[in-house]
Amino acid sequence: MIHLEYLDRPHSVQTAPVVCMHCDSPTCAEVCPADAIKRTADGVVQAARKPRCIACNNCVLACPFGVPKMATDLELMMKCDMCYDRTSVGKKPMCATVCPSQALFYGTEDEIERLRPNSVPVNRFQFGDQTITTQVRVMAPKTPAVEYVDVTSSLNAQAIGQDIFFNILEEPFTGGK
Amino acid sequence: MALLPVDCTAILERFGPHLAYSEGLRLTTGVEPDRIVDTHCCFCGQQCGIRLKVKDNQVFGFEPREDFPFNQGMLCPKGVKRYLQGSHPDRLLSCYERDPRSPGGFRPLPYERAIERVASEIQRIQSAYGPDAFALLSGASLTNEKAYLIGKFAHMALKTANIDYNGRLCMVSAGAGNKKAFGVDRAANPWSDILKAEVIWISGANVAECAPITTNYIWQAREFGAKVIVIDPRITPIARTCDLFLPIKPGSDVALFNGVLHLMIENDWLDHEFINSHTAGFNDVAESVKAWTPEKTAAVTGVSERGIRQAAEWWGRAKTSFLMHARGIEHHSHGVQNVLGAINLVLASGRIGRPGCGYGTITGQANGQGAREHGQKCDQLPGYRELNNPAHRAEVAQVWGIDPRELPHAGADAYEIFRKIDRGEIRGLLSICFNPMVSLPDNNFIRRALDKVEFYAAVDFFLNETAHHADVVLPSALQEEDEGTVTQLEGRVIKINKAVDCPGDARPDWKIVQDLAHRLGCERGFSFQSPREIFEELRRASRGGIADYSGITYEKIEKQNGVFWPCPDEKHTGTPRLFEPGSWNPVAQGAGPFYFADGKARFNVATYTPSAETTDEDYPVILTTGRVVSQYLSGTQTRRIGPLVDQYPEPRVEMHPRLASRLGIADGDWTTVESRRGQLTLRAQVVTTIRPDTIFIPYHWAGSQSVNQLTISAQDPISRIPEFKVCAVRLRKTPSTGS
Amino acid sequence: MSKESLKAMLWGLATAAVTALLVVAGSRNLAYFDAELIAYTFAVLFAVFAIAYRYSMWLQRPPTALYWKRGWQVFFRRRFFLPNTGRWFLRVAGDFALNRFIFRRGRLRGLAHWLIMWGCIVAVLITVPLSFGWIHFESVPGHLRDYRAYLFGFPTLAFPLHSGLGFLIYHALDFAAVVVIAGVMLAMRRRMRDHDAASLQMFGEDFLPLVILFAISVTGLMLTGSYTWMKGYAYDFITILHAITVIFGLLWLPFGKFFHIFQRPAQLGVSFYKDVGKHEEKAHCRRCDHAFTSRMKVEDLIKVERELGYNYTMADPASDHYQWFCPRCRRAMLILAQSALWGGIRGGQPIVTAALPTLPQSALGIPHIDFGPLGKEDEENFHP
Repeated sequence: MIHLEYLDRPHSVQTAPVVCMHCDSPTCAEVCPADAIKRTADGVVQAARKPRCIACNNCVLACPFGVPKMATDLELMMKCDMCYDRTSVGKKPMCATVCPSQALFYGTEDEIERLRPNSVPVNRFQFGDQTITTQVRVMAPKTPAVEYVDVTSSLNAQAIGQDIFFNILEEPFTGGK
Repeated sequence: MALLPVDCTAILERFGPHLAYSEGLRLTTGVEPDRIVDTHCCFCGQQCGIRLKVKDNQVFGFEPREDFPFNQGMLCPKGVKRYLQGSHPDRLLSCYERDPRSPGGFRPLPYERAIERVASEIQRIQSAYGPDAFALLSGASLTNEKAYLIGKFAHMALKTANIDYNGRLCMVSAGAGNKKAFGVDRAANPWSDILKAEVIWISGANVAECAPITTNYIWQAREFGAKVIVIDPRITPIARTCDLFLPIKPGSDVALFNGVLHLMIENDWLDHEFINSHTAGFNDVAESVKAWTPEKTAAVTGVSERGIRQAAEWWGRAKTSFLMHARGIEHHSHGVQNVLGAINLVLASGRIGRPGCGYGTITGQANGQGAREHGQKCDQLPGYRELNNPAHRAEVAQVWGIDPRELPHAGADAYEIFRKIDRGEIRGLLSICFNPMVSLPDNNFIRRALDKVEFYAAVDFFLNETAHHADVVLPSALQEEDEGTVTQLEGRVIKINKAVDCPGDARPDWKIVQDLAHRLGCERGFSFQSPREIFEELRRASRGGIADYSGITYEKIEKQNGVFWPCPDEKHTGTPRLFEPGSWNPVAQGAGPFYFADGKARFNVATYTPSAETTDEDYPVILTTGRVVSQYLSGTQTRRIGPLVDQYPEPRVEMHPRLASRLGIADGDWTTVESRRGQLTLRAQVVTTIRPDTIFIPYHWAGSQSVNQLTISAQDPISRIPEFKVCAVRLRKTPSTGS
Repeated sequence: MSKESLKAMLWGLATAAVTALLVVAGSRNLAYFDAELIAYTFAVLFAVFAIAYRYSMWLQRPPTALYWKRGWQVFFRRRFFLPNTGRWFLRVAGDFALNRFIFRRGRLRGLAHWLIMWGCIVAVLITVPLSFGWIHFESVPGHLRDYRAYLFGFPTLAFPLHSGLGFLIYHALDFAAVVVIAGVMLAMRRRMRDHDAASLQMFGEDFLPLVILFAISVTGLMLTGSYTWMKGYAYDFITILHAITVIFGLLWLPFGKFFHIFQRPAQLGVSFYKDVGKHEEKAHCRRCDHAFTSRMKVEDLIKVERELGYNYTMADPASDHYQWFCPRCRRAMLILAQSALWGGIRGGQPIVTAALPTLPQSALGIPHIDFGPLGKEDEENFHP
């Protein structure tokens, strides 16, 4: 259960995969009026407990990363639970296993250090005055070093792409009579 | 006569494409599989390892196969959803013959009767018009065993010169270029060499969508510090974050290669030692690129001088590098010249045959590599031998136990076969695993040709759009219903394992072909009981050839997770990297690492000629075609898999807002695109990720949605590949009442 | 003891006391109270105390307290009261009586829950009044084969013991037990076979409740079996065994999964809150300007988050609080923020357009499948 969207398809082919970040202090669980969202001892924030979830949508709206989804007809919130059925028996989550570019990666710190020698994992995120730390990391450059990802500072940022005109040799162009 | 038996919609209603989604067993989470079969994805040339979960003779799910070294569990959307092609409602479960009175225009036919009918039509046509009047078209998604047997069937049972395959639309420019430059046609390196490259040059390859797993190799190399140069008229996902992006004007790649070589020579970014001792022909090439100054190159390619100089400098100064290309530079009427231009850059740098120094074309089809080696190409015999080479003919004739004189000579290519049909020179056609109505250019001509053919039999597992025109349809096996070997894009021979049995009357293509051979009175040489037996003969037939499989066994493939050819004897573990210093090959016999008698690679003058059809006042826009990540080739399989169709439901006309605004077209508007050969109406997708003088339409769809109504059938004179990537069109907004 | 616990304790004690009074009053000063069932009664009283305690604690959590208050407020909001009442009946019928939302999750799963639920409801409706002495049966004087049921000591209908009706009433508990066992079997089957369930389930949370229900039902049936076919063989022993299982079940009610019985009705309050929210002012995302939920909801969430100690306040007054951003834009900002870190290091640069950042679009042509929104409401979260 991941989110996958084009950030701004008219201008860029950048896509945004978002999985649950598994917060150390999950806002979704705290705002749940039904105590339906549990965090396991190993830090996985699970999808809503089925008997308890009352489909109030609090978690969907409060999650700082915009992760949970609401299946209203099932009266149930659903989200990434780190493929608990797979990770609990030593497998990787499905999304990170099949991801063809390894934009989603699951592994140990040693592995990531070896595979991404110029990157560091960061798990602190800033939303206005609120800091959230998570189990899932995003990769940041080693230099310049960053302490945290300031999410709300990207309020007006544009998607990343190439400028088709940068290396183009412009010539008189008629697109039709 | 191969006119449609009934209205097209009636055929579609009966035979699909209908969409398959997960349901029943496939949705139930508590199912214990009867067995899990380690095999490979059925789609592109990367042949990712996958594990299929089987219960009650149905593939109901998959598991990633992390032990397979190429993809280590990774899969693209097609691989993730491939299991939905089995147990499909559209699956052909019996033979059919055309019958306008039956629902859908086809009536079931017992298998024996169908074979009988096809064979007697072959005999009738061949006795009336000669053996070459019956043609055979086959496919590059077939296993090596099937490809080998189909080639043998054409040459030995049908005795027709006219056999060709759909790799003609795919690999032939690269193949011809490789043969001319290296003497051998195979990716020179395993993909693991990409990881060690300092500079990666990608020309005309939409890697992230057409070979998605290769993205990880490239991005991993980038993590290790590699610079990535992408040449493409569109900002593809791999281009989006590359270090240097050159938005080239479609059809001008050879100019760019020549321009870069010009700068390499000018700045002496050359490996003189390598050029002198391991290549021939450099001086002629150097002479030929003298004219390609940055200024001229920029004018022809539409790329700024700054970009060309930057590319040349990075490429020229690199210590290690990997150059890869795909259909973007190959699908041209000068596709071979483009490939030769690319190879010249590699040879001038001397960066080949060493770790981290590589070159390769990205094969498109499942067995794009293997299926072009074993004799279903119009001029070819097994082991990459040539049909017009007397020594090669004798070698193969001996394995087959026939007189070399019985073998036909080189015949027509896949497109020429249709021209011959149009001219009445070919009267009968058998197609296996090929859907020319979607995949060949100018398919209005293909349809007219099909209407003229006297008898057409199609072998496929679904009723593809070409088979709509068939007189007899024979149901074949899906990839997971048979075993065999496939050679993926690195040159690694891998093993497809059988997961389930064929349903109904469907059976593997090799059985159908053998039954036909028997009925044609050719029992000898067509009595294989299993793909393994065919492979054993293929090993013998390829022994001593360039593509030498003689040391490869099914067991060795399983044990080593694939074997790279050449593998000349049982003790040999295969050859992951070609052209290593001091390596031996059967052509050079130790004289050098390249596959020529002197062991030296060849520089070839790469000549720039404009595309067959350039833009003009009437048709001012360049149309280029390609693929999307969720669809595969002519879509016979992927247009039947619901989630893949949902991901990209219909083809769109991709155009730059500058062009769109000039024509008053907004995103989502119905737009009619017209070439000299046809027109089609699709919704516009207005994006800044494409050159303003170019539009892009993916080609996976059929009928009124097929972009190949517009494309041009101009072909490369050497490789005979059609020019899918450039033709001239005009477009206009369609009133909203449009289709 | 914290203020919350004290309050909860008082609620618990008060509720238990009221229940005790009802037992006394309903059994006519214990006249019809069966002293042998005293253990059950005390178990019920404890359960009532603990449930009220936990319920009170639960209601004092900021999000729950807010919903509790808002749920009632919106229900009685004048403009909505009548339609709300109508919908209340529909929802009680659809969600509670029929368990429609569970059937949508899975047919067998729905059936399992529905059987267990109705079996338990029937059993509780019979046993609780019986053990409290609120109902008792007496033979009708002069008609020895006829029985009459007394509710709170008042005579109600009489019926012949060996009639069909008599059989039904006499064996109602047995039927309930069979229904519960069938449901438990189905649920067990799922828990044993289903990979999803297997990865998350825990013994205490998921199996124990099924085991308890099974034990109660089976020992209850054994009582009937003992006196019907085995001349009361081991009847006393089974009685004790049955009592133990029932009392254990009662004591377990407030702690484990059974507590959802008391939490779940909050679903109703939530649905009215959502209904009213739909008709009132919308909140517009302060990045993409699309309406994504009700203004009331955002303001309530901001309040709840502050009470919980979160501070998503933003310095820029136009943004004010992070809660004013829709989930879709939150995802976009996360990715853009990460991309920004890589500016000038990897290839590619922020695109330059005159336009504001556009809305992220689903990478898939048609939503609902795999990555898209999960239904109508979710589409609002995704605001197509």
